[in-house]
Amino acid sequence: MSAPTLASTDLTNYLAVGLVIVMATGFAVANLVLTRLIGPRRTGDVKSMTYESGMNPVGTARKRFNVRFYEIAMVFLLFDVEIIFLYPWAMTFPNLSVGSEQATVWLGRIFFFLFTTIVAYLYGFRKGVFTFN
Amino acid sequence: MIERVAFLWPEIALFVATCVVMVLGLSRSLALRRLCGPVCGIGLVIAGLLALRTPASPGILPQLMPYAKAMIAGVGVLLLLMLGGTVDREEEEQIAAGQRTFDAARTNRAEFYAFFMFSFTGLMLCASADGLIWLFLALELTSLPTYVMVTISSRSARAQEAGVKYFFLGALGAAIFLYGFTLIYGGTGMTRFTDISAVLAADGMNSITLAGVMLALIGICFKIAAVPMHFYTADVYQGAAAPVSAMLAFVPKTAGFLAIILLTTMVSAAAGETGGGDGGWLPEPVRVLLWVIAAMTMTVGNVLAILQRSVKRLLAYSSIAHSGYMLVGIVAGPGDGTFTHNGLAAVLFYLLCYGVMNVGVFGVVACLERRGKDGWEEVENLDDLRGLCKTRPLLGWSMVICALSLLGMPPLLGFWSKLPLFTSAISAGELALVIVLAVNAAIAAYYYLGLVRAPLLTDPDPDAAPMTDTPVVWRRLATVLSASGVIALAIAADPFMRASETAGRTRDLMKPDRGGADEHAEAAPVVPEDR
Repeated sequence: MSAPTLASTDLTNYLAVGLVIVMATGFAVANLVLTRLIGPRRTGDVKSMTYESGMNPVGTARKRFNVRFYEIAMVFLLFDVEIIFLYPWAMTFPNLSVGSEQATVWLGRIFFFLFTTIVAYLYGFRKGVFTFN
Repeated sequence: MIERVAFLWPEIALFVATCVVMVLGLSRSLALRRLCGPVCGIGLVIAGLLALRTPASPGILPQLMPYAKAMIAGVGVLLLLMLGGTVDREEEEQIAAGQRTFDAARTNRAEFYAFFMFSFTGLMLCASADGLIWLFLALELTSLPTYVMVTISSRSARAQEAGVKYFFLGALGAAIFLYGFTLIYGGTGMTRFTDISAVLAADGMNSITLAGVMLALIGICFKIAAVPMHFYTADVYQGAAAPVSAMLAFVPKTAGFLAIILLTTMVSAAAGETGGGDGGWLPEPVRVLLWVIAAMTMTVGNVLAILQRSVKRLLAYSSIAHSGYMLVGIVAGPGDGTFTHNGLAAVLFYLLCYGVMNVGVFGVVACLERRGKDGWEEVENLDDLRGLCKTRPLLGWSMVICALSLLGMPPLLGFWSKLPLFTSAISAGELALVIVLAVNAAIAAYYYLGLVRAPLLTDPDPDAAPMTDTPVVWRRLATVLSASGVIALAIAADPFMRASETAGRTRDLMKPDRGGADEHAEAAPVVPEDR
């Protein structure tokens, strides 16, 4: 019995990938060339202004901002990932038969994951992410 | 899936210790914060003991795990002793003097110890790896914490520069070997080592797989600081605090060599198909690649080390050279499985010896300091070591012993670790490489003898700015333990050699009758398991 082989040296398997690469490059190049050839050119104060989501830009971009934004983003990520894992798990787990080995393994896995989340939460708590002053 | 847990108890022990340390290091109470180091130590010791009980795995190197993990835990304890006081000392001094109060947001202690433990968890996971995905994740878990550790290890701007440099080049290396891994998967359709080697044994190696293996090996060269990817080494080792440099010389190198051992064992299944030269164990293109990298790495590392005046830069280049020596063992291959003929066993034994010797030389640098512009600065110039045997006999003699051992002086550990590299390469018929190795050992003697001469034979420089000993006693303990380990392990090397001999045996060598391609295919599960 020999192990199954998915791909071989023959590169036709990668034809689709190559085609997408060619199309992507071609699209970008074609757009640049066409804009250059047939696009009208106008300049002005408003057009050369920095784009700031529709508002008039104020001050410099190199401003210091509170590191707390970063910390809160990290904690958000923690709970975000938690829900991404927990939700599909909770949808699937009831389908497993009660007391089967698979169910035990699944339960163990999610407990391990929750343990890591709790440790991360504790770390954030001790680090003072949740104290606002 | 669940049966894999049987091999992972050491990692689980380390991970639990990591979690404890992460929270403990942020305590308001000094007594609790001080527990960080001991908890890491207990975790490592327990992991080491659990590692010894690891059963034989169904992977391509069945006995690799017990030896590799126990060795990692052992050297880990030495490195942990070194790390004491790296990030926390200045802070504790200021708190004790009443200059500031404890602020959890500004302390680095919890992160530093937790990252150290994460890195070791990753390192042990490298030894457990049974497939490409696992290996990639383990290598990254080993490396990512070290980037942060380099940056926070010292307040100097050089440490930050080193951290950034290390991070970006590390990302480049990771990208290269990940690309290699995807090509291996594309070429064989498998991600597990046993499956891949079964496919390779049955169908031979196609060009996509070959390109993947080449890229993977070159990417991993970053981890072991081998020649095309060695440029970061000197700057990073110099920029980081000496204890962290000592860790960098062991941890990523061990991870890289474990990965190379696994990958080369995996592709050795295809050796016969693409013309394995004169009975070589690797396919010819892979052998040539490793041969060239080994020869270049030894030579470049040693020649550049001669030019250095900074002890840390010198040791960085010497660490490059040592990677080159170990690659000789990889080129030689497992031979017939006996210790003197088994290059893989030689590499595994060398990693242990290098880990022990290396702590000693970096430890001497870490133990000496001098009041600088902003806080304590490390002493790193070669001239600062002058007369050390007279002024500080303990450190001086540790340096002499460890440097002589790194050089490969006969009665010491370094000699016994280099010897099997020579014998295995000779038995594999790699005579040209052995000559390169011998010439390089001679070049290395020049700068290692410089490290011996400065403390032993010269007098202290009377004009030099005064140095003080670091108050962190753990570092001195690590240095002395390392120096005595160099002597003790040389006397009692036998059990370690035997352990590495078993660890370096491939699955084929374990079988009573050596099997061919058919047996490979039979042993490999064709249906992917539940993940």
